[in-house]
Amino acid sequence: MPLDEAKKKILLAEDDVDDRDFFADFLGDRTDIRLLPGLTTGVEVIEYLNGVSLSELLPDVIILDQNMPKLTGLETLSYIRSNERFSRIHVVIYSTYVGQELVDECLKRGGSLVKSKPVSKDGYNMMMDEILAVCKSVPVG
Amino acid sequence: MNTPKTYDQLVEENEALLIQLDEATETIHAIRTGQVDALVVEGKDGHELYSLKTADQTYRVFIETMNEGAVTLNEEGLILYCNSTFASMVGLPLSKVIALSFETFIPPDCKEQYEQLFEHGWTEDTKVETSILSSNGLVPCQLSVTALELDGGVAMSVIITDLTSQKETQKLLKSNNERLEEMNIALEVSNHDLQQFASVASHDLQEPLRKIQMFSEILKDRHLGELPADSVKYLEKIIDSSNRMRTMIIDILSYSRLSTQNDSYEIMDLTDIVHEVLKDFELRIQEQKARVVVGRLPELEVNPGQIRQVFQNLISNALKFSRSDQPPVIEIKSLPSANVDDPADIPFASISISDNGIGFDEQYVEKIFSLFQRLNTKDIYEGSGIGLAVTKRIIDKHNGRIKAHSREGVGSTFIISLPLRQNNPS
Repeated sequence: MPLDEAKKKILLAEDDVDDRDFFADFLGDRTDIRLLPGLTTGVEVIEYLNGVSLSELLPDVIILDQNMPKLTGLETLSYIRSNERFSRIHVVIYSTYVGQELVDECLKRGGSLVKSKPVSKDGYNMMMDEILAVCKSVPVG
Repeated sequence: MNTPKTYDQLVEENEALLIQLDEATETIHAIRTGQVDALVVEGKDGHELYSLKTADQTYRVFIETMNEGAVTLNEEGLILYCNSTFASMVGLPLSKVIALSFETFIPPDCKEQYEQLFEHGWTEDTKVETSILSSNGLVPCQLSVTALELDGGVAMSVIITDLTSQKETQKLLKSNNERLEEMNIALEVSNHDLQQFASVASHDLQEPLRKIQMFSEILKDRHLGELPADSVKYLEKIIDSSNRMRTMIIDILSYSRLSTQNDSYEIMDLTDIVHEVLKDFELRIQEQKARVVVGRLPELEVNPGQIRQVFQNLISNALKFSRSDQPPVIEIKSLPSANVDDPADIPFASISISDNGIGFDEQYVEKIFSLFQRLNTKDIYEGSGIGLAVTKRIIDKHNGRIKAHSREGVGSTFIISLPLRQNNPS
């Protein structure tokens, strides 16, 4: 079992309560990640990040739902990438439907990965495996 | 008995005499201005012909026969001369026109414009678009004025061009343009609606569907043991149906997006594209022990993503509709271009994709390329019935053609013909 420090800190921003529950239910018992308390909007993500004083406490991965009120996933991504302090953080966007435009735009703005929302427990775990694999590299943004 | 003439009769007679006088003046004028070629005068030896042919006869004929009205005005604006075209334009006999003020033919609301023209015209050639009064109403026309130095002093020549048919053409053009514009707006609106629909379908419709899938899965996962056998069966059916609906939504979305996508074309080696696609099918090819033979394919200017999808769909179909008693054999090759009977004479390349699968009855060949058309029941061959519709739409967008030949139980052949280059307006 990896040490707590080796667990990747995952922050989810998702306005749908069911989807937040799926995350906790399906991924909560994984030993290679630590799920930070889920947030509901991009605005909360920004507030959260600005409230973290120690860089070591910043999340390793932020998973953003694309369709959120006020700030979309892409807009939140742009904000994160505009701050040097957050350059180490991998940003993943996930959405019910993933079109080529979303993929292109996400990568252009310095995101690491775009995934469509899984439809099963296995789907969630496979998505998380893929996210962790991508996180071995340095964010391109 | 001579009855004394009434006042009215006298006035009438007077008018008739005035007209005679006018006509006499006109004749003299006509002789002077060269409108008359010859005069016949009755002398003591009978009729004698006096020819008036001079060097300017050519010009007189020219002026008389031209389609424009031509008049000359004196400094007061009175008509000294007019050709017959002008007389018929205003609907009066020639004799009535001479000596009238040209202003007589100018409608009230054009008077000011005409006065300016008349003043300005003495110093500079000028053109205006205006109307003149005729016995049949207003005639739209262009007046073109030039000051002339004649023997007897100065005069102003006015060329009157009838713009009636031009105006009508313009009006027709304008109304056609307006109609086109309206249609364009309607089209834009409907395109916008379609995109709205695509966006609704892409997200809003899929969101609840995904929840159905998720919660059914959870129910099955966590409570399978507690459910009676037929409830499990129903649950499986819910999951199957929602999976199928999701496939259909995604497929119809990719179909509708084809029309809104920006097309970017690149010159691609189709051999590379096919090998890439085959890599994705590696597992299925192994499982089905399929043999895929790929010949040398041409380099064409295509939208790589879309053409990739074409091969994906066709190879996937060839694998899907294979016969159970023998492993699939799929052959993808270039056809000699002589096989293409293209009337427009644009260089085309043809590629055939053939299989030894279950085939289909050729009477349904038109149907297979339509949306949601299936020739097989979905419990045996799954699919949304959209793959070939997408394929055809992509080929259409590339200005190409797709044909299919098949025999039931023997196999199918799809032939794609694509132009070597796309003429994109740069």
